[in-house]
Amino acid sequence: MADRSGQVYGLTILSPIIEDEGLDICHSMELRWYLGHLARDGHSPFAQLSSTYLARLVVMDDVVYVGAPACEEHLKSRYLVFETNFDGDLDTYLKRMARETPEFVDAVWKHCVGYPGVADVEAFAAYMKKCRIPTTFFFADVNNRTVQQTLKALQTQSALAHFIEKYQGRPPAEIQREFGVLLHSMREAPLPRAGGDETERLPSENRPHD
Amino acid sequence: MTKIDVSDIQGFSLKGYNFPFARYLLLELQHHEAAREFVARLLPEITTGERWNINHKPMSTVNIGFTHQGLVRFQLPLPSLLSFPVEFQQGMKARGDILGDTGRNGPAHWDAVWKEDRVHAWLAVNARTAGALEERCAAMEQLMRESGGARLLQAQDACAIYLEGKPSTQEHFGYTDGFGNPDFKGAEREHVRGQGKLLADGRWEPLATGEFLLGYADEAGELPVAPIPHLLGRNGTFMVYRKLHQNVAAFRNYLNEKTKLYGGGKEKLAAKFVGRWRDGTPLEISPDQPDPRLAADKYRNTDFTYGEDPAGVRCPIGAHIRRVHPRDSFGFNGGLVNRRRIMRRGLPYGEYVPEGQPVSDEDDRGIIFMALNASIFRQFEFVQQQWIEYGNDARQGNDKDLLIGSHDGTGKFVIQGTTDPKNPPFICGGLPNFVELRGGDYFFIPSLTALAMIATGTVDPR
Repeated sequence: MADRSGQVYGLTILSPIIEDEGLDICHSMELRWYLGHLARDGHSPFAQLSSTYLARLVVMDDVVYVGAPACEEHLKSRYLVFETNFDGDLDTYLKRMARETPEFVDAVWKHCVGYPGVADVEAFAAYMKKCRIPTTFFFADVNNRTVQQTLKALQTQSALAHFIEKYQGRPPAEIQREFGVLLHSMREAPLPRAGGDETERLPSENRPHD
Repeated sequence: MTKIDVSDIQGFSLKGYNFPFARYLLLELQHHEAAREFVARLLPEITTGERWNINHKPMSTVNIGFTHQGLVRFQLPLPSLLSFPVEFQQGMKARGDILGDTGRNGPAHWDAVWKEDRVHAWLAVNARTAGALEERCAAMEQLMRESGGARLLQAQDACAIYLEGKPSTQEHFGYTDGFGNPDFKGAEREHVRGQGKLLADGRWEPLATGEFLLGYADEAGELPVAPIPHLLGRNGTFMVYRKLHQNVAAFRNYLNEKTKLYGGGKEKLAAKFVGRWRDGTPLEISPDQPDPRLAADKYRNTDFTYGEDPAGVRCPIGAHIRRVHPRDSFGFNGGLVNRRRIMRRGLPYGEYVPEGQPVSDEDDRGIIFMALNASIFRQFEFVQQQWIEYGNDARQGNDKDLLIGSHDGTGKFVIQGTTDPKNPPFICGGLPNFVELRGGDYFFIPSLTALAMIATGTVDPR
């Protein structure tokens, strides 16, 4: 399936933004303002939607013709572009959005044409699917593991590296005993929260080369 | 074949002089007319890239570069000033977040001269003897006085470390440095394997000239971003100047401490940090012991790749030289690294203390690191940000370069190994800062033509 790579789903949704010339502040402006202030760390609504790898919301204003002679072209509408990669199937994800982040969904999609609200989860999912366009080709650099498997693997790697650093060179019996303690603590350890640890600034915050 | 006009290019941009003494005069330019007069008088003194007659090697050399603030001081036309790449216009201090120049490496810890934006020019004097250095620097100061165009803010001395009475290429941690600068088309030098770009058939050839000099095609077949008019940029290049303080005591203590646990011994551990034994022998070629003949053989000491060592059991994947010049590590016959190469110049400063003698991190010693490239953004900044301060490309997660990364006492460095007890896997944790930034900036090193244009006020962007 073109919208799927392994177990990762690549979703693209284009929702037309309401045009209302009678308003003091247009919908697209309000939407930009809201999106501009959305948390990008562990407080992001997508951190709550824990199967999300990456999500992006963009207001697409219009197309601009680049070339000569200049010519004027327009889209039929402004659009909200929603791109996300997540684990599992589309219906489950959309329904989770409606059930687990209703305020966020409302605050965003209330600016879009035909948005039915989130109270009726089925209707919301149907609306989103109507706005969906096939993603056809996408790249998700995630080794076909779920978000939770990846987080767990990183947690294990970090704990193991720390363990080796601490116990390398110690007597075998001590290493074995402490390794048992490590295994136990790893089994008991709560899964790391999705969305990253906001106390740590990621190098990606300043990566113009990507 | 690319032909470059060596008489128009500052010698420093083309070659390392290999002179043991240097003084970097950090200047504040004065009123634009006097500053232009200073450059006009300096012009005949500038050392170009012309080949030296073996019997008439100069006793000293002179080269100059300007920060963007310096170019502003000359009152270059605004369209020219604004046509320089953004990172150069901003200067190194403003790029601190990108470069990891924060915390202990941040401007609060820099030398006073770099804290303000008053360094307009870098006037470099390299010399064969201490006497020649003094003589030439005195002449430079006289030029400054007579023209009234520049004021000396600080003189930064640098000097090769002398071992057994002879200048060496060793740095303060004890590593032999300065192997293999990238070879590029038009550079008058012997082509040596390992020093240009790797081809699919295993041969090496010089990189495109435009990776290092403005006005020539680069590896993408384009002219690098350069100021207007074309003549202002052509034959010029950009330089990154970084004064890197070395915490020699911290390094030696750390190495001694970790050696107690590491099965391969102290020198092998030191070699694993860098990818070369301290005498310069590449680990990739000689993983078990240093080989002085190999280290001294210029045809062999840069002739290696990492393709046969994907797990890093010979040279760790995160070792310094494998990070900053990954060769074929990322596949595609090195194609991913050809646009990330930098030319390095540099000399140690401060007194060298042999191992075993008392040494303090408070002493003023380190290395003046200078990198030359056509695009600071694409070349130096990428290497610093992605390959020194981050480990993802090398599949080392968030791990930074052990030696020159900006650490906070929590970082780690993984040494991949085998079941051989003399080559065990090992993890170095709790990394302190072995190297700390004490200042620096981004400089434009103009051609002789461009210097003349600056001196005569004839930079015309139209």
